Amino acid sequence: MNRASLPGRWLRDWRFWGLLWLAGLLAGLGVLLWDARGWLAGAPEASFRLTLLNQWPVWSLWWVVAPAVLWLQHRLTLLDRHWPWAIALHTLMAFLIAGLFLLATAVRLLVANHLPWSFLPVILHDLRATGRWDHLPLLIYFLAVSVLYAAGYHRQWRAGQLLTGELRVANARLETRLVRASLDALKMQLHPHFLFNTLNSITSLIRNDRAREAEDVVAGLGELLRRALEHRQESVDTLEHELDFLRRYFEIESIRFQDRLKVEYDIAPECLRALVPCLMLQPLAENAMKHGISRDPEAKLLRLGARRERDRLVLSVYNDGPPLPKDELVTGSGIGVQNTRARLHMLYGEEARFELRDQPPHGVLARLTFPFTDPTAP
Amino acid sequence: MTFAMSGVGVLMLAVFLAPRRDLPVLPRPPEDRDVLRVAYAMPLTLDPQGWQFFQPTQNQLILSLWEPLIECDPETGQPLPVAAAGWRWSDDRLTLTLSLRPEGRWSNGDPVTAHDYVRSWRRLLSRETGWSGVLFPIRNAEAIHRGELRDPAALGVEALDDLTLRIHLNAVRSTLVAELADPLLVPLHQSSVPLLEAYDYVRTPGDLVTNGPFRLEQSGPDGFRLAVSPHYRDRKSVALRGLEFVRTESPALARLLLAAGRVDVAIPPAAGAPGGLPTRRRVTEETETVLKILSLDFNLAREPLRDVRVRRALALAMNRADAIPESDRGRMVPAYSWVPDMPGRPALAAMREDAAEARRLLAEAGYPEGRGFPVLILPVNARHENYAYLHAWTDSWFRELGVRTYLALETGEGRKRRVEAGDYDVAINGILATVPDAGDLLSVFAHPERFNIPSWHNPEFTRLMAEANRTAGADRLALLEKFERRVMDEAVTIPTLFERRRTLLAVEVGGWYADPLGRQALKRLSIRPPEKGEPPREGRL
Repeated sequence: MNRASLPGRWLRDWRFWGLLWLAGLLAGLGVLLWDARGWLAGAPEASFRLTLLNQWPVWSLWWVVAPAVLWLQHRLTLLDRHWPWAIALHTLMAFLIAGLFLLATAVRLLVANHLPWSFLPVILHDLRATGRWDHLPLLIYFLAVSVLYAAGYHRQWRAGQLLTGELRVANARLETRLVRASLDALKMQLHPHFLFNTLNSITSLIRNDRAREAEDVVAGLGELLRRALEHRQESVDTLEHELDFLRRYFEIESIRFQDRLKVEYDIAPECLRALVPCLMLQPLAENAMKHGISRDPEAKLLRLGARRERDRLVLSVYNDGPPLPKDELVTGSGIGVQNTRARLHMLYGEEARFELRDQPPHGVLARLTFPFTDPTAP
Repeated sequence: MTFAMSGVGVLMLAVFLAPRRDLPVLPRPPEDRDVLRVAYAMPLTLDPQGWQFFQPTQNQLILSLWEPLIECDPETGQPLPVAAAGWRWSDDRLTLTLSLRPEGRWSNGDPVTAHDYVRSWRRLLSRETGWSGVLFPIRNAEAIHRGELRDPAALGVEALDDLTLRIHLNAVRSTLVAELADPLLVPLHQSSVPLLEAYDYVRTPGDLVTNGPFRLEQSGPDGFRLAVSPHYRDRKSVALRGLEFVRTESPALARLLLAAGRVDVAIPPAAGAPGGLPTRRRVTEETETVLKILSLDFNLAREPLRDVRVRRALALAMNRADAIPESDRGRMVPAYSWVPDMPGRPALAAMREDAAEARRLLAEAGYPEGRGFPVLILPVNARHENYAYLHAWTDSWFRELGVRTYLALETGEGRKRRVEAGDYDVAINGILATVPDAGDLLSVFAHPERFNIPSWHNPEFTRLMAEANRTAGADRLALLEKFERRVMDEAVTIPTLFERRRTLLAVEVGGWYADPLGRQALKRLSIRPPEKGEPPREGRL
């Protein structure tokens, strides 16, 4: 238990304040009744006028009504009622309290003057006729409620400030992940192994007098690097651009894998204009190559899919390689997978889904689902 | 649903607070049979020389416990001997010798002596309550009060023997005998002074020794209860068994106590009381003129108020009657003279209202349509009820004459200081008579230095008043009328309003009489048994 936070917890506990209020109420009542015991017992020399019951200031009734005022203000804030309703209910409460004060005054006058209870409405009527209805409680009530609202709004503003701060941090993290993904992609492209393999492929093409193809690979590598750098500055791009990028990547990889790599595109035309997070598919394609195609000599198919399901865009990356390791199935703990999941959550919250599962009898399927965003839509 | 609930709530409230006429009247308790119960809202004191504010109930309480030398006849205003058996003036009318009734007794049986009066009056002079002035016509009284004379025995009052009191005056004063009816001038038993000053009468009410028709039986926060004094000299003439002064918080509540049957006499609120009583108790309303005048006094040290034509123009441009709001009708009366109606002397019509004549006079004085007339400064206590009247009167000056007035808001104390320092053009003041005599109210103009009227003194007025004080009867009244008309013609002040006091009485109260000074002797009243067979009648108030 954190000892330092104990008083703070008490101060935030309504039961603590309730007990304090009750104790104050009982103590006050006790004093009043003890002081008036002679008059209550009917002692002939005792006078109600001399008792504290007659002399205590009426404003101490605020102690009695304070919980009701706080409760109403709290409820109205919680319910977020429309403001005319809030004003109406507060006005009603203010008049009830002013009426209570007036009633207390009238009862005191009634008792002090030994009048029968049937005269209570007459006293109230006379107080009004002689201009002695005290309207100060109304003013005090609205003043107090205004202060409570001001304090509440200040608290909300502070919370909003904190939330804004958190969002800024989250955005910064998102940006960092995006940059990291870009860098990963770049690093992947510049990975010595990848680069050496690519360069070896180019050399082999030149030796075999396949200069034209070698030129294509060099151009593809250059394009790949340029696009990767461009993508660093943007958060979303059209699926069409994203697929262009991947196509370049697969062109280079296909030289290394010779005829073994077969890439299929199952893309609905309407999805090409949809906005997708930049470099979202590339890590998945890389995983498919790394953990699927390259691990199984029989594996050769990598299929990219995109389709629209009502207001959702469903992207998929399938490879017919070996199934996922057991721990990967359970936790999805790979860095690429983690990054993808985190970015989706940051961008779309609960509206995004990411699945990674075996696709019997062969292969592994990664599937992304998130809101379909059409940049051309009004 | 909520609207419906609110509607029902408002309806219930309206029904709950609606005027009632059918509440029950509390029966008179057996112990209150022949006991007159009087409600009071302002605190009362049992010290005859210790009260702060004038109020009839205070007078009635003191005059029930103590008996002064003189009472004034309610019909004629003429002094009647009560504790005194009679009086005799010296030839030069500067010495008054009073003989006391030998049967006068204190409530403990001791005889009332002249020494008791000397003791009481010396005490009054030593106090700082502001009421010592009633003794100033007596030789050396003012000097002793101001500390210029140390020896209280120098006061011009002496007990020649137990039953003879002699008073030496500074100057002839024909109203002096009537002034001895003042509750401030009742005698004090030697045991009473320490008791009153220590407020011990609250704990031991029976120890308070008084010479009046009643003695104190109970004293507490809820009021006072008095029983007939067994040693009172005229006990047989007192029809009541006792008195009860019932404390309440406001005149409005006093009215309710009367309606409920808790009291028999109450002074209602000056204004704002709801019409009708909530019960069917039969109640009557009695009114009496108060010997009090509310006036607008000019500062004659300032231009252009030195010019009598300007003062007359302002007086003529008043609109007294229309300034009285509906709620004050019957209570406030337009004043066209300095002295109100009083026993044996109706008020004069010494002033009039004539806007055309006012404009002519102001133009003659060099201010046609108010052009070039300075703004008049009128300090005012904004909390006082006369504020609305000032608005109406000064508005009339502007409308009729083009004269502007600045109502300078002050606290009560600030206004008083400002008036005393002469820092004003017009001031609103009030003056209250101490005897039912026109000369008492008019003497303010014969001795203006005593009444804060700066830079104005007309020796002719002082001479006239001295002449009136040397005469009596019809001659005196004629001189006072001449005096009053001359004063009104000078227009050093504008009388504005007289006041009428209202008293609510249960019909069973018998013997009530009007007294312009609010000094009804309650010993003269009685409680009549309710007439059998008479159907209850709705209270008409």
